[in-house]
Amino acid sequence: MILASVELIGVFRWLYGLLVELGLEEPWLSVVIYGLLSVTIFGVLCLIALFLVWWERKIAGHMQQRFGPMRNGWHGWYQTVMDALKLLQKEDIRVDTRDRAVFFWAPVICFVAAFLAYIVIPFGDGLIVADLNIGILYVIAITTFTVISLLMAGWGSNNKYALLGGMRSAAQVVSYEVPMVASILTVIVFSGSLSMVDISNSQQGNFIFNWFIFRPPFGIIAFLTYITAATAEANRTPFDIPEAEQELVAGYNIEYSGMKFAMFFLAEFVNMFTVSAIATTLFLGGWHGPLLPSWLWFIIKTLAIVLLLMIFRWTFPRLRVDQLMEFAWKFLVPLTFANLILAGWMKYAGWYW
Amino acid sequence: MKRVLNGFKNLIKGMTITSKHLGRHAVTVQYPEERDKIPERSRGIVVLLSDKETGELNCTACMLCMRSCPTAAIRIEAPRGEDKKRHLKSFVVDHTICCFCGLCEQACNFSAIKMANKYEFSTLDKNDLIWDMHKLQEMGRDVPYESKKKKAAEKDETREAGKPKTASGDGEKTEKKEDQPEVKSDNQENSPGEVK
Amino acid sequence: MSKLKTQEFMVNMGPHHPSTHGVCRLMLTLDGEKVVKIVPVIGYLHRAIEKICENRTYAQCIPLLDRFEYVTSMSCEYVFADAVEKLAAIEVPERAQYLRVIMLELNRIASHLIFFGTTVMDIGALTPFLYGLRERELIMDLFEMTCGQRLTYNYITIGGVSHDIPPEFIPKCREAVKIIREKLKDYEGLFNENPIWLARTKNIGVLSAETAVAYGVSGPILRASGIKYDIRKNEPYGIYDRFDFNIPTYTHGDAYDRYMVRLDEIRESLKIITQALDGLPEGDIRKKVNPFTFKPPAGEIYNRIENSRGEMGVYLVSDGTTKPTRLKLRGGSYNHLQVLPHVAVGGLVADLVAIFATFDIIMPEVDR
Repeated sequence: MILASVELIGVFRWLYGLLVELGLEEPWLSVVIYGLLSVTIFGVLCLIALFLVWWERKIAGHMQQRFGPMRNGWHGWYQTVMDALKLLQKEDIRVDTRDRAVFFWAPVICFVAAFLAYIVIPFGDGLIVADLNIGILYVIAITTFTVISLLMAGWGSNNKYALLGGMRSAAQVVSYEVPMVASILTVIVFSGSLSMVDISNSQQGNFIFNWFIFRPPFGIIAFLTYITAATAEANRTPFDIPEAEQELVAGYNIEYSGMKFAMFFLAEFVNMFTVSAIATTLFLGGWHGPLLPSWLWFIIKTLAIVLLLMIFRWTFPRLRVDQLMEFAWKFLVPLTFANLILAGWMKYAGWYW
Repeated sequence: MKRVLNGFKNLIKGMTITSKHLGRHAVTVQYPEERDKIPERSRGIVVLLSDKETGELNCTACMLCMRSCPTAAIRIEAPRGEDKKRHLKSFVVDHTICCFCGLCEQACNFSAIKMANKYEFSTLDKNDLIWDMHKLQEMGRDVPYESKKKKAAEKDETREAGKPKTASGDGEKTEKKEDQPEVKSDNQENSPGEVK
Repeated sequence: MSKLKTQEFMVNMGPHHPSTHGVCRLMLTLDGEKVVKIVPVIGYLHRAIEKICENRTYAQCIPLLDRFEYVTSMSCEYVFADAVEKLAAIEVPERAQYLRVIMLELNRIASHLIFFGTTVMDIGALTPFLYGLRERELIMDLFEMTCGQRLTYNYITIGGVSHDIPPEFIPKCREAVKIIREKLKDYEGLFNENPIWLARTKNIGVLSAETAVAYGVSGPILRASGIKYDIRKNEPYGIYDRFDFNIPTYTHGDAYDRYMVRLDEIRESLKIITQALDGLPEGDIRKKVNPFTFKPPAGEIYNRIENSRGEMGVYLVSDGTTKPTRLKLRGGSYNHLQVLPHVAVGGLVADLVAIFATFDIIMPEVDR
């Protein structure tokens, strides 16, 4: 009985009841309910990704004292929808010398991996697909899948720039995985659980001051290192060397066009939302907050972090590939491990409030 | 440690500068709906000017603009009539090779040709940019200009009134007139368009 | 198990690469990310300006020379007009001299603002590019107001300048000077001490003074290497000896110094403009020269000025007719592209981009 362990929200609980009344047997019942859930999550995330693309363009525009998209609707609000439609219609240009299978599967894996993480992310009180007891571990495992797809894209394109981009992304993501996990572990030390719901719940109450970010100095250090590593994970400036436009033209996705490119592009924004959502869950108290409904709190917090990432992107220059590695291994890794060990020691000694 | 903190401080400083710009109003304009004011002197398309009263072209077919054009974008046909004067038959400006240098405007002594401050003349067909006399005249109808002829006339009046005048301008003018036939022969040998 | 081995591979950077500023093609031999060999391939923008000018009258040469180095067209016009005036011993009116200096310095600032924008964009920061262009827009407006064009001005003619400034020019110019001086603080706040920027530019692409001199490097790049050489001071042309300004010089010759030299030069240029606006006399703007019959006496001359990209020179041979017999243009970028392999080999691809950006090479000046 899988469903028993899953919290279902309003409409799905009603649907579940309806299907049981109709006499649907157990394996099919789960398939139908989970199918509907996936479709819902997928649709919401596509909308969020499209919104983020539009928002990023607006932010960039206003930051540069331009308007950004203005033509389609109020302040161009459905501009990205039109862009997506355009990319759907476009001819899929393929290089003759590509590695067929690798070239084809790279965007698919990237796209799917980007969405899979949302199974365990709680959007609000009870708004979660599956509350796995190893939730955060699952997220770390799934998000790392992206790097495989980037490497595949780099190799499959049979292009030197793409290959360089793929190699860079592999090196980068693997390096930044370490400080990221170490800073996440700090939070796990605080909360004592791997489940996303439990982590959120342990930050409940006391207005907002029970959030893990307000546990100086370990919480704040872990948060900053996590944000840094997460920027690198999401391949955004100042760590966007895999697709460094001015060096590698477009990096791994140089040979992709049309829908395949759109998949990479949307996956990038979904990834950005993922890392922000995890940061919200781990450090900013998840859906908990006074007054407003839980899902609204979650969205507000996540978008605030996304905004931070956008300001990073449009302000900073890009680091060089060796400096990036140096920064990860010589600065972030020692810092996060020291932070983790000290936090663990404090917790063990019971000096924490 | 100090380096890290200092670096962190400067990163924040950079972010505040860009964030401050977030709230400011855009400096660009939404083109087809709003437009920037184009200065009077802006050099856009080439137009032919007409006399304000009679509505006829100011051009006297002196060929100075054609000769001054570095890219040979102006082609004038003006055979001499029975009265030994040139009569303008066709005046074609090829905007596809025009380099918008404004030399034709500077060369013209009769305020007949001008680079107006209009700039929207994109078409789907390249040949639409080769404009003949009528089109050029039509485009030039509403272009304001100061008649050089009138200016010269005013100058003459003041001179007649007995105002002292520097000789240089006068001398230049006569010199120019004398030189014209010589230049013409020189130009016909290898006109600017025919690069060998 | 077969033995694994590594292999160097070749990449064509350009002619359509985003960071080669035009159509420069660099044939790179890479060992992983490390640059082993650079062979610049030039000629994609060759338009034979020098040859075409031999078939044009002196007045007609000027619009063509605008295209020689289109970011600072005023300099191209000035260097040619000045050469012809020296050859023909034409006295340029005082007001025209001042206007020329104002325009040259405004154009130098515009060029350095472009440099600022493109350099930071090549190193990855996208927003300041727009800031640089925003301030450049003020200068472009001034040019358009005066001579009618924003890029290829045809303003400095033989014997003076083609148009007098409109009455609203001087207040607007002072305003622009004030704004640019204000905004320079923003630029400095964004980058001068930004740790990422420092990491990307400090000690990158060090060009020693000896190498710079050996390759004939000039302009801001030479001054960043520690040699205080500016034709405006060392061999004053026009009326530059009347103005009080400094020559910013740095010592390391790395990418950061090349960037700082240019930012400082914007300040110095603003100083010159303020002085020129204060001292602007009334009077004629042009000594009348008939564009059709103007014939300088037979002879030859080499005239050079300090452009924003180094020494810009023109070698002119006249045989006494209305057209130049031979015209040879010299642009700083040609030498800078030659010294590029010397500086960038051994670094990473990202360093090459930073070095190329801070050299501020513009391709029409190389290919002509």
